[in-house]
Amino acid sequence: MTSDPLLIVNDLKVYFDTEQGVSKAVDGVSYMVRPGETVCLVGESGCGKTVSALSILGLLPQPPAQIAGGEVLFKGRNLLELAEEDLQSVRGREISMVFQEPMTSLNPVFTIGYQIEEVITNHEGVSHKEAEIRILKLLQDVGIPSPKERIHDYPHSLSGGQRQRVMIAMALACSPDLVIADEPTTALDVTIQAQILNLFRELQEKRGMAILQITHDLSVVAGIADRIYVMYAGIVVEEGSVWQIFRDPSHPYTMGLLESLPGRREKGQELATIPGTVPDPTMKPSGCPFHPRCSYFQESCRDQFPPMCNFGDDHLARCPVIHAERIA
Amino acid sequence: MKDSASEHTLSGETFGLPPQQTRLEEFWSQLRKNRLAFAGLVIFGFFFLVAVVGMLLTTGTSPVLDPSLVRLQEKLRPPLSGPNLESLLPEEVPPLRVYLLGTDELGRDVFARMLQGAWVSLTVGFVAVGLAVIIGVFLGGLSGYYGQNSIRVGQVILVLLALWVVLGWSGMSGVYLVVLAAAAVVVLASMVLLHRGKSHGPFAVLDAQLISVDALITSLIDIMLCFPSFFLILTVVALLPASIYNIMIVIGLTSWMGAARFVRAEFLSLREQDFVTAARALGISDWRIIFRHMVPNAIAPVLVSATIGIAGAILTEAGLSFLGFGVPPPHATWGNILSDGKNYLFDAPWLTIIPGLAILVVVLSFNLFGEGLRDILNPKLRERH
Ligand SMILES: Nc1ncnc2c1ncn2[C@@H]1O[C@H](COP(=O)(O)OP(=O)(O)O)[C@@H](O)[C@H]1O
Ligand SMILES: [Mg+2]
Repeated sequence: MTSDPLLIVNDLKVYFDTEQGVSKAVDGVSYMVRPGETVCLVGESGCGKTVSALSILGLLPQPPAQIAGGEVLFKGRNLLELAEEDLQSVRGREISMVFQEPMTSLNPVFTIGYQIEEVITNHEGVSHKEAEIRILKLLQDVGIPSPKERIHDYPHSLSGGQRQRVMIAMALACSPDLVIADEPTTALDVTIQAQILNLFRELQEKRGMAILQITHDLSVVAGIADRIYVMYAGIVVEEGSVWQIFRDPSHPYTMGLLESLPGRREKGQELATIPGTVPDPTMKPSGCPFHPRCSYFQESCRDQFPPMCNFGDDHLARCPVIHAERIA
Repeated sequence: MKDSASEHTLSGETFGLPPQQTRLEEFWSQLRKNRLAFAGLVIFGFFFLVAVVGMLLTTGTSPVLDPSLVRLQEKLRPPLSGPNLESLLPEEVPPLRVYLLGTDELGRDVFARMLQGAWVSLTVGFVAVGLAVIIGVFLGGLSGYYGQNSIRVGQVILVLLALWVVLGWSGMSGVYLVVLAAAAVVVLASMVLLHRGKSHGPFAVLDAQLISVDALITSLIDIMLCFPSFFLILTVVALLPASIYNIMIVIGLTSWMGAARFVRAEFLSLREQDFVTAARALGISDWRIIFRHMVPNAIAPVLVSATIGIAGAILTEAGLSFLGFGVPPPHATWGNILSDGKNYLFDAPWLTIIPGLAILVVVLSFNLFGEGLRDILNPKLRERH
């Protein structure tokens, strides 16, 4: 796929003013989504995935958040510089978002039909009748059984999985070019998780929208991603195709993540873990933020911020140590 | 990718659309199901009917029931007692030939007075409380939702200019007005430019942040709460021409703080809820989110306080009338019947019991209706009935 990128996030920095000092939640993140592809953003909780996604759509309250730098180019326009009114017409129509908590992401006082209709009529001048036909089609597409009866239901009478399907229907209501899914399956049972992920894939085949999947779970990624960005402490530490990341991980953090996947251990063997904890975003280690936990640690890691090293074929990782090793 | 047209050309028949039920119809059917709320509405409708009929029967030059007819020889008659036909002139005899609710200390027919007072008392209660709720929800909503967002110098100047123009409309010369209006337009235009372009021209000072929306509104609430509201009302009423509508408005303008605080508190927690972020992420505007999505979730405590506020407003009107600021006598209101009657609490208890009961029933019926409304607005509570 070599079409023009749909979304380019370029060196995005988002800081929070907190009582403990400036929290550098996102500290120079770059990624790119091409039309129709699925890109995954992977990383432990707290590494800044949600913050980077919310700032694409200008949804972070400022203050306390503060966009400290970078740009978000969507179809060539810098979303960070758009006025609120222009952003509102991008949200839901060109880029939409599905959230982590289906139980609380729907307004309890409106029927699901009404909430989907609101998205449609908000962006397009269609009649109630037309909208209703589209809603039924959408509900059918996202796999809600007998949509005719459910359209007048309130969220509390739906299960978590069904609510997430409704959220997806809302996100797709105006056929956006990009859907950002922020851990859409984290709050769901494992069986439902698989169904929702399959649903995303089916919908993508049908409608051809691009998807930015955010997850903390590498095992989810393998089946769905075209490309993967691994994040750690507010930066991207490795990027590449699924194949490159899983077969040839080139950053110690990615390696640690892969080793700690339950499927990889021998029977009876303990699960591998990465020693230490995620750094506090207000007090990040100098140099490479991963160095206190890293088994490839060298003195230079302490004070030099690692550059992105090229491992060939758009496979990049922020680890000069491993890069030097491989070259040698 | 934007082939929504071809994608959505399915016809309604594919699905056999269910019969359409508008939101109003749904509301109505929910209300019918909730018996107490429906009863509240019926009682309440009945009182309004009584008020309208009462107004028709007691106004005009020779009303059917004359509420201000003094019959000193017939004073403090208990309810259901008959008039003494020998001592009364024929035109003084009440048309029903009985004092249905007794007479007061001047021998006036309490039934006629209650009918006459119904309209004023009901409208005072509802207009005042309605106004208080509207202002309270509006300011509380803005304060809770925008919270830490700052108000800019330019916006303050703009509001001041607008107020100046509006208040000084009659008293100012044309030249003055034109200058003010032009200044307002310049400020507005430069604010829009600043907002769009983020440039730093000579007008950048207009963009300086002054104080947060929340701080402004909460301090306004606190200031309003500092004044004993009855005296605030007295002061304002003394400046305005005496009219019952002015009183309603003034009572409303001085009693919105409770509602505003309730709504603000609810909004502070609702604002963090995922459905608000989700609605924003789908491009719904702030106004719609505040008033369409959040207010129904925050309205329950407001409705409860509003029901109590209605009784309060009726009594405030009574107090004002008692001091001569409200509805001028001899026009009756439930409040002034009640406050006149309290001097005869032991000799003529019906003079306090009857208007008291009437206020109680109105408040109760509105309370039932308000509770039902809360349940209807919040579908999770519906199943309980
Ligand atoms: N409103 C906020 N105020 C202060 N810090 C915040 C706020 N929101 C997020 N953060 C910080 O940003 C970091 C990244 O959070 P987030 O993007 O939610 O992580 P995740 O990758 O799990 O989605 C966290 O360490 C968190 O402390
Ligand atoms: Mg998150």
